[in-house]
Amino acid sequence: MAKAIVIVGNDSGPVDLAPSAIQHTVLASVDVLGTSVVRRTVERLLRDGIESIAICCSSSVESEGFDEHPSLTILTAADPWEAAVAELARYEDRLDCVLIMRIGAYVEFDLGDAVRFFGEHSDNVVRGFDDEGPLDLWMIRPEVIDNANLFSRLQLGKSTYYPVRGYINRLRHPRDLRRLVVDSFNSRCRLRPQGSEVRHGIWMCDGAQVEKSARIVSPSFIGRDVTISEQCLVTRYSNIERDSYVDYGTVVEDTTILPNSYVGIGLDLAHSVVDGRSLVNLHHGVMLKIGDPVVMRQNKPLAGVVRSLWSGSGVDGQITAGRNQNAD
Amino acid sequence: MLTSWPVVVMQVPEELNAQEVHLFMQEAGPLLQSVRPRLVLDCSQIRSIDSAGVEMLLHCLEEALKRDGDLKLATLSPESEVILELMRVARIFETFETCDEAVRSFQAVPTDAIPEGAPWQPTVFGEMEALKQAS
Repeated sequence: MAKAIVIVGNDSGPVDLAPSAIQHTVLASVDVLGTSVVRRTVERLLRDGIESIAICCSSSVESEGFDEHPSLTILTAADPWEAAVAELARYEDRLDCVLIMRIGAYVEFDLGDAVRFFGEHSDNVVRGFDDEGPLDLWMIRPEVIDNANLFSRLQLGKSTYYPVRGYINRLRHPRDLRRLVVDSFNSRCRLRPQGSEVRHGIWMCDGAQVEKSARIVSPSFIGRDVTISEQCLVTRYSNIERDSYVDYGTVVEDTTILPNSYVGIGLDLAHSVVDGRSLVNLHHGVMLKIGDPVVMRQNKPLAGVVRSLWSGSGVDGQITAGRNQNAD
Repeated sequence: MLTSWPVVVMQVPEELNAQEVHLFMQEAGPLLQSVRPRLVLDCSQIRSIDSAGVEMLLHCLEEALKRDGDLKLATLSPESEVILELMRVARIFETFETCDEAVRSFQAVPTDAIPEGAPWQPTVFGEMEALKQAS
């Protein structure tokens, strides 16, 4: 097998979308312990011998962070499946097998074993599945697939099921994101934190700044260019992703702080996922939009303006307890 | 000992922001100035709280405690609970699932049921005289 198509950012079937509390965010494309699931998957496919990969995304944000790798093609379209169809058409009849993945889920599988399984079966479509049901992972013979109906053919058409035996996390809910972090810290999967292990169970990336009086308890992860201010405590499987800032005296426990988030002074964050102003509390099963930028906000404007803009806001700010029961 | 001070249940407004706090305090202020104020705040209507709202709750509690009274919160939504936990004030308040429970909690120890001359020592230690003899 030489080619793969990776689809990001468009759900392909009746997956459990409603609880996705960090709305409009594909969880697989946000950083987990230093880098996204999409990027990790692509890198692993390249390592396993895939010669070229087309990454089909619905927005350029989802393709961010991919280095200019000669084996990667980034295709952006409103419907990433259309981009996938166009890519398949380019292959014509030259390939015996193309791997198609929609990420989605974090799936660890043995590519060699999957290809062998595909070769041993005469079906034109082989689909991966686990105990919970089918996965968005297919191997197809492109010449026999009606490209115009690729999406429905893969979703609904006849296929042989290939049992995936590796670690799988469907990443449907922020709770799954937390589970992935904990599983990684406990070595239950192959996903490893980026950066270096500065002390047993504490990983730090380049540019991370931890003030002397702050305390980091293992296992924890501090991402690239993160600042942990004085008197803070980061503990119990917490991960603070790149460009985030945790201000004076705040406690972060069993919590994921997604990239570029600012967490204010003297707060107590536990069992949560934070993304800028959005806070999902997994213990209570609620999602809040924090209106007061002194409490939480995006750390840096995406244009890259300096951090000194922090002060002076929030006089009229508001902490809004939004009623979003979908978070549970 | 006086034990029959009334427990007042007050409805907290939907938006607990600076503006609403002002109006709420106009109502709650005189109650908090009374002797041994006993307040239950019914938080079931709260849709949003800002920092002024959290500050007001703390202020009310402080005023009640100053006068040997207490303030309890009832029917907090999970969202409000998360906000109080985030701001590190959740542990300060006694919270109840219903207003009834909160009201009953004020009468949890019926002090008028204790006879005037009863010894202050817990019975597990026995009476002071018996302790002295034993020693």
